[in-house]
Amino acid sequence: MLLELKELNYKYPGSVNDVFRDLSCRVTEPGFHALFGPSGVGKTTLAKMITGEISGFGGEISSHGMNKVLYTFNLERLPGWSNIQEHLAAITPGANKEKIKELVKSFGLQSCLHSRFAQLSLGQQNRTNLTRYLLQDFDLLIMDESLANVDEMTKEKIILKIKTLFPERCFLYISHNVVEVSKFCKQILVLRSHHKNPQAVSLQGQDIRDGRALKKMELEQRMLEIVNAS
Amino acid sequence: MLHRRIYQFLMIYFIGLVALMLVKYSLNLSDYTIPGVNEIWNTCRRYSGLYLVAVLNTLAVAILGHVLSICMATVVGIIGRLTIWISSFIRVAAYNIQAYPIVAVAPIIFILLGDGLSSRLLIAAMICYFPLLLSFIGILSEPIAEIEHFFESTQRMNWRLQVKIRAFENIHKLVTVIVGSATLAMVGTIVAEFIAANAGIGYSIRIALYQSDLSKILVALFLIGVCTSLYLVFLEWLGWFIKKRFGSI
Repeated sequence: MLLELKELNYKYPGSVNDVFRDLSCRVTEPGFHALFGPSGVGKTTLAKMITGEISGFGGEISSHGMNKVLYTFNLERLPGWSNIQEHLAAITPGANKEKIKELVKSFGLQSCLHSRFAQLSLGQQNRTNLTRYLLQDFDLLIMDESLANVDEMTKEKIILKIKTLFPERCFLYISHNVVEVSKFCKQILVLRSHHKNPQAVSLQGQDIRDGRALKKMELEQRMLEIVNAS
Repeated sequence: MLHRRIYQFLMIYFIGLVALMLVKYSLNLSDYTIPGVNEIWNTCRRYSGLYLVAVLNTLAVAILGHVLSICMATVVGIIGRLTIWISSFIRVAAYNIQAYPIVAVAPIIFILLGDGLSSRLLIAAMICYFPLLLSFIGILSEPIAEIEHFFESTQRMNWRLQVKIRAFENIHKLVTVIVGSATLAMVGTIVAEFIAANAGIGYSIRIALYQSDLSKILVALFLIGVCTSLYLVFLEWLGWFIKKRFGSI
């Protein structure tokens, strides 16, 4: 078991409404998993609780073999004093430097390397931000809508590349796109309102990889299950 | 930039001069109260060299005081951005002290330091220091979460990087505040010289006031306006250069 959330209870200071009430779920193996749920259900809050950015909650979060947990969100920006290439070179640990070229190429960022972050399109900005996180040492990377504003083809290419390059790492992909989580994710944690019990439901996705065919009937079935669960 | 600012100043100056002449001739005032155009011109020819040296002296002190106050505001702003008790104390103290008129404190400075360069410099620095400090504290204590998050989560954040990010993201505001405070530095120096000093254009204006010589004051005002405009244009150019070199373009 990699990550276990046990009976989490949380409400924001000053708020009367619970965000989580006895929420429990677990991620048992590495891979590309999803955290799915309607807006405002607490996906980002849960992500911040896992990374330790939010404390003072009831229950327990235990992780095994996951010492470095990173969280990235789609509104992040790079400092404007250097271009993308200089920034990536400066923030990449020595052992990961060889991955820069491959990730830049796979994510279609070659033409952006000599530009400043502010000069990029929203999709390019999100891809650049995700690239720099993937170049870090991590055991779990929580991607909070990190591929927003990226076209479907590129998104698919990026997710498949991540799966190929980091098979032993754990990813928690926060998305509102039911097709994409059903198709690419291994385990789908569906977060529900605190009125529902249990508050989190775990479903299996198709976990499509390079060379693995998509089962359309199964995908439709899975999407229905996710929608019904949420 | 240069011609526009000089042009604006000349327009305002000559409108003021014309208004003064209108008052003089409509009320039939004597040359002793408001000198005629000829007398102003003659005073200008006789004293402009001397006054130019005095204005440059004042401008040098103002620039020094301005630089000093920028350095002080940066250091105190860096400390004041923290969440420890000393930072909170600095912020509260800055807000309270800035409300106190420096001109009222100036006599104490002259009594303690005399009427030399140090008093002029200190008063000039103090007058433009507090507006700078309040802006610097505000800018440096405001987190830029969408940039800082990465450095914090990868444990790369240190105080230098934090200050760099916040200053860089607010470079337009910083430049505007610095340019704006330059006028205050000049005003502060002239006020200091006017109260008690032995050099500078403020000192010359004080003498002219004792002599009730309005033409000398008008010549001094003209030179102050031109030199201040030149300094502001220089700062605006510097700000433009910094924004172009380091800005998000």
